[in-house]
Amino acid sequence: MIDQEYRQTLDGINLSVPSCLDREEVLRQLDSVLDPELDQSILGLGFVKSVECNESHLTVELELPTYWCAANFSYLMAIDARRNLLQVPGVDDVTVRLGDHFAAKAIEDGANSDKPFSDSFPDEAWDNLEQLRDLFLRKGYIGRQETFLRQLINAGLSYEEISGLQSGDVVVDGESFWIHRDGAEAVQVGPASVAWRYFQRREELGLDCSPTGALMRDLRDQSVPAETLETYFARSRTTRVSSEATGALCSVLLQARQTASGIA
Amino acid sequence: MFKVNGDEIFVIDGHMHNWNASRENWLNDYGEGWIKCFYDYHSGLSPEDYVWPFEKYCQYGEETLVKDLFLDGHVDMGILNSTNLFEFFKEGFNPIDKNNVLKQKHPDRFILCAAFDPRDEEAGMDKLRQTVEEYPVGGVKLYTAEWRQGSKGWKLNDPWAYKYLSLTEELGIKNVHVHKGPTIYPLSRDAFDVNDVDYAATDFPNLNFIIEHVGLPRLDDFCWIATQERNVYAGLSVAIAFIHPRPKYFAEIIANLLFWLGEDKILFGSDYAIWSPKWLIEKLMAFELPDDIQEEYKVSLTQSVKRKILGENAARLYEIDIPARKTTLSKDEIGVQLASAG
Repeated sequence: MIDQEYRQTLDGINLSVPSCLDREEVLRQLDSVLDPELDQSILGLGFVKSVECNESHLTVELELPTYWCAANFSYLMAIDARRNLLQVPGVDDVTVRLGDHFAAKAIEDGANSDKPFSDSFPDEAWDNLEQLRDLFLRKGYIGRQETFLRQLINAGLSYEEISGLQSGDVVVDGESFWIHRDGAEAVQVGPASVAWRYFQRREELGLDCSPTGALMRDLRDQSVPAETLETYFARSRTTRVSSEATGALCSVLLQARQTASGIA
Repeated sequence: MFKVNGDEIFVIDGHMHNWNASRENWLNDYGEGWIKCFYDYHSGLSPEDYVWPFEKYCQYGEETLVKDLFLDGHVDMGILNSTNLFEFFKEGFNPIDKNNVLKQKHPDRFILCAAFDPRDEEAGMDKLRQTVEEYPVGGVKLYTAEWRQGSKGWKLNDPWAYKYLSLTEELGIKNVHVHKGPTIYPLSRDAFDVNDVDYAATDFPNLNFIIEHVGLPRLDDFCWIATQERNVYAGLSVAIAFIHPRPKYFAEIIANLLFWLGEDKILFGSDYAIWSPKWLIEKLMAFELPDDIQEEYKVSLTQSVKRKILGENAARLYEIDIPARKTTLSKDEIGVQLASAG
């Protein structure tokens, strides 16, 4: 079972952070803000354009891939970035900016005063975004599980064997995760981050993470039997491809936008 | 026509535009934001040689379109979308009256799509009847995220949408192209949700629903619906543009479509002028699914599959007899020009 806290490396991030702030802490807080739709960190996606501070007041500017990025997801990223950055020691207030976005003003006003989404769009939204957030946490789970399951398949385990595994059979050692079964030789499977992402979301969704519980669990918290695991994998694969392909499109669009700023 | 080893592949571009997004036509910041966002799709995914200057992209004109599609771009016929966007552009983005000018000049080259908006209620029903009477309408193109007097969109299973779909069927139109956009009411829900397609496809079994951009960013939900509903098809525009900058994802997307929907339900579309059909078609014809993907998905993208995607599937939906149409097209102005160019 994975109990150690896994920390994604932030070495490749070259966002400039004012020297009055703890850089590591700012990056950690931003790294845990996800684009809910893509299930990836806004920091890794390059959506954080700048961080500035004026005494204890921090201003963060986000740059999203398009002017039309959905208002609801944009709002979630804005409000999560603000809430997380308020945790940074020495920061008393945070202002989020969205730059050139069709609903920038409404989203900034709402997020910066921590108002619910429906207050920012009073005639257009009738509830808050928790349902939407939950839907995508669940889709994200399926995507993370597919990546994890794929590693097990690639390591040579059969559907039968995988279906018989318990959560406690997964062991993280350094940068890798392994499968340790009683009476069998340990198998090195893949990067520790893959296992960590799977279990982290599983816990977040309140699914069973106990060491003796089945390793492969669906969203109803039922174990996936060997005979349906292949079909389950094929379906999960489509969800993972959908999200990753969208992520790839977003990265291409963001790059194009950055190149084009200055035209017209 | 794409020629390969003495073989001719008939090409129908299932999704293309003749837009005017010139500055003079911008009604507000949204018009500007609209075309700039389109430009990022264009410049971000096109090969370098195919990237246009922004001004040309805003308004390219009929002559450029004819050259890029038919003279240089291997396309035989195009499905011409009508997208109004009157709240962003003074004269609309590419409304049907402007598209019809092009259709009249090259009648056998285009399938003209009308648009309707159920929020127009009764008045719009009359207008749709009138449009079909006045113009040679082949299909309809629906854009569910269009803004209208404070509303940010509509769904295919809204009660008024059903009345329009009934009328569409009554008027003898069979093919409904659906495009999901980013802003829809209520804003608190997933704007790209494709579940309304499921309802409409079940309740209108005599209509074909071609879902543009294969439901992206909801490829998974789209695949489940298209697997269940025999009258739901995948429009490949946007997804096919991955073939240049992100071929791995193109491979995975097309493998998923072949796996869930099969080779008879996928339709090529360039989304011109976002992308030029010439490079899309050339790259598709040269593309081979990587071995590991073929092995995992147990699907293949052979020349006969590509032939279906590029033209045969759309021809079947629009009841186009390919050999007969080839003869007709060889004699029109464009056909003659192509023949003289050799």
